[in-house]
Amino acid sequence: MKVGVLSFAHVHATGYVKVLQAMDGVEVLAADPDPDPDPAAAGEVRGRELAEQLGVAYADTYQEVFDWGPDAVIVTAENARHRALVELAAKHGVGAVLCEKPLATTAADGEAMVAACRESGTRLGVAYPVRFHPAYGALRRAVQGGSLGGVLAVAGANNGYLPTGLRRWFTDPELAGGGALMDHTVHIADLLDDLFGADVRAEEVYAQANNLMYAEEADAETAGLVTVRYSNGTVATIDCSWSQPRSHPAWGGLELQVVGERATVEMDAFGQSVTGFDERSARGVLLPWGVNLDEILLRAFLYGTAAGGVAVADGEAGLRSLRVALAARESARVSRPVPVG
Amino acid sequence: MPELDVGLIGAGGIARAHLPAWTALGAKVTVLSTDGRAEGLAAEYAAHGVEAVHSLDELLARCSLVDVCTPSFTHKELALAAMAAGKHVICEKPLALSVADAQEMIDAAEAAGVRLFPAHVVRFFPEYEALAKAVADGAVGEPAVLRFTRSGSYPVWAPWFADAGLSGGILLDQMIHDFDFARLLAGEVVRVHAQARGRLTAPAEAGAVAAATAVLTHASGAVSHVHGVWGLPDTQFRTTYRVAGRDGVLHHDSLQTQAFRVVAQGERAAGQGIPATDLARNPFEAELGEFAAAALAGGPEPRVSAHDALAAVRIAAAAAESALTGAAVEIESGELVSR
Repeated sequence: MKVGVLSFAHVHATGYVKVLQAMDGVEVLAADPDPDPDPAAAGEVRGRELAEQLGVAYADTYQEVFDWGPDAVIVTAENARHRALVELAAKHGVGAVLCEKPLATTAADGEAMVAACRESGTRLGVAYPVRFHPAYGALRRAVQGGSLGGVLAVAGANNGYLPTGLRRWFTDPELAGGGALMDHTVHIADLLDDLFGADVRAEEVYAQANNLMYAEEADAETAGLVTVRYSNGTVATIDCSWSQPRSHPAWGGLELQVVGERATVEMDAFGQSVTGFDERSARGVLLPWGVNLDEILLRAFLYGTAAGGVAVADGEAGLRSLRVALAARESARVSRPVPVG
Repeated sequence: MPELDVGLIGAGGIARAHLPAWTALGAKVTVLSTDGRAEGLAAEYAAHGVEAVHSLDELLARCSLVDVCTPSFTHKELALAAMAAGKHVICEKPLALSVADAQEMIDAAEAAGVRLFPAHVVRFFPEYEALAKAVADGAVGEPAVLRFTRSGSYPVWAPWFADAGLSGGILLDQMIHDFDFARLLAGEVVRVHAQARGRLTAPAEAGAVAAATAVLTHASGAVSHVHGVWGLPDTQFRTTYRVAGRDGVLHHDSLQTQAFRVVAQGERAAGQGIPATDLARNPFEAELGEFAAAALAGGPEPRVSAHDALAAVRIAAAAAESALTGAAVEIESGELVSR
């Protein structure tokens, strides 16, 4: 199977390439033709140089990747550049496209991407790996099996480092579509979208954001709280802040408490690690030993999942979680609850 | 400290927490309640000279400081009566059910020349005290995003808790602790959005669940999430917080800091288990001692004031209005304005 990787702009591209390289029967060809010198992070390696570091075959243009005849492509460009690459893949009749989250930076872009893939018969997936965490699977079985009764409230947190240490565009309002609200609201919004199923929709969003932590170095918001009200009455509040100290041994994490009428359950997607202390560096040690979510995501994307199991988020699902993030961005601007568009 | 004569009104859960703290402080305590439980409570502490009386006049004649530990809807009336009689008052949280009532109590204390202290005991819990001191000393820099959770079993032991008209519901009764702490750490609150779900009206039986979420916006721009749960009967009482700023993060989870743990004890009849306690020191004793010293012995000004309690009631009132209307509620010059 031939898989193309389009752009190294997103930090997840490296992880995907490594997973693909380790898969039997998968050939990889990457292209990263348009890295921006400005805004580049200090020491940022892109393009052919990064491909050589990774030991992955490299093409100078996206066209070369399409000419190679890939069975699938992964789009890991800046958020605002997803649309062009997904449309290009659809135009070339690529069978399957996995797009990094969030799907786009505007609803119009997201809709166009979904429409383009529908017309060309391209299967569009969105890279939401936490769907495949065993802890989410257990939570999902508990909720969907009725063990919780009606879900009343959800408290979620998806915190992380300020990502500009690796890629500066994450805080560029144009390229990223916003800051932490765009980057980190969507993971939990997607989990809840899958958890509650097709009959339940996010209806209204209230969000507040600030940039108190990184006012001098980021143009976008770096902290945010988002409350989402669903059509089943559930209210969920998500802390999407980039509030993990940059020198912390853990990059951040994703935690969820789901309060039901008959049970309350929690998941901690990145809590499985050995912790300790290294005297030589005088720093805490953290050895994550949990599952490789990127690997499960990519296997599911390339080879499918068992019936009834968690599926890769499709374009429509990616559009729904994007709309939650877009509503959060608007709510934070006007400081009022806003309907989900 | 001169002789400490305390009039304890109420003989329920919080009175049972305050009474041993008072006796440990060497107080002479008189107990009054209207539910017939004062005698039993006094009898348990007879060795400490605790006595029950049958009228408010009797109580007021025997004490210089009144500790109001009654259901929330009776706080104002009792506190006003005690202050009119020239007594200092410690009042359980919430100070009152409305901003206007809390203000009336503060005005009455000033008019009577007595002290009025709110029993916001979380200010005296060591893990919160450590947080407050560290944040004030700059441990995280300016707080940017704060999270607080508080969960316990639904308070079905007294029917008034489930009645929002009598208790203010989970937002005012339970989450006020974290509203107060968020304001202490990140400053005045200018905007509140809240939603409450589950059993929000009386009656509530064991097994009922209520949950609420509130997002506070501080004048500094900082944002706080407060998550409260009145849960199933087996809900372990638990508090957590995470406070982040550009210079660091501080967090706590009470489930992770139990200094004494029962690992196994087989099956035992209710009430026959090994009692668990893990506090470094009794926060109620620290709280009541600080208030009594300030009221009666020229001690330092307590860490929490009736004005703080009023501000916490105002945040809770804004949250309750938001939960009712779905709007974000602005706090402008002390007034609530729905957006």
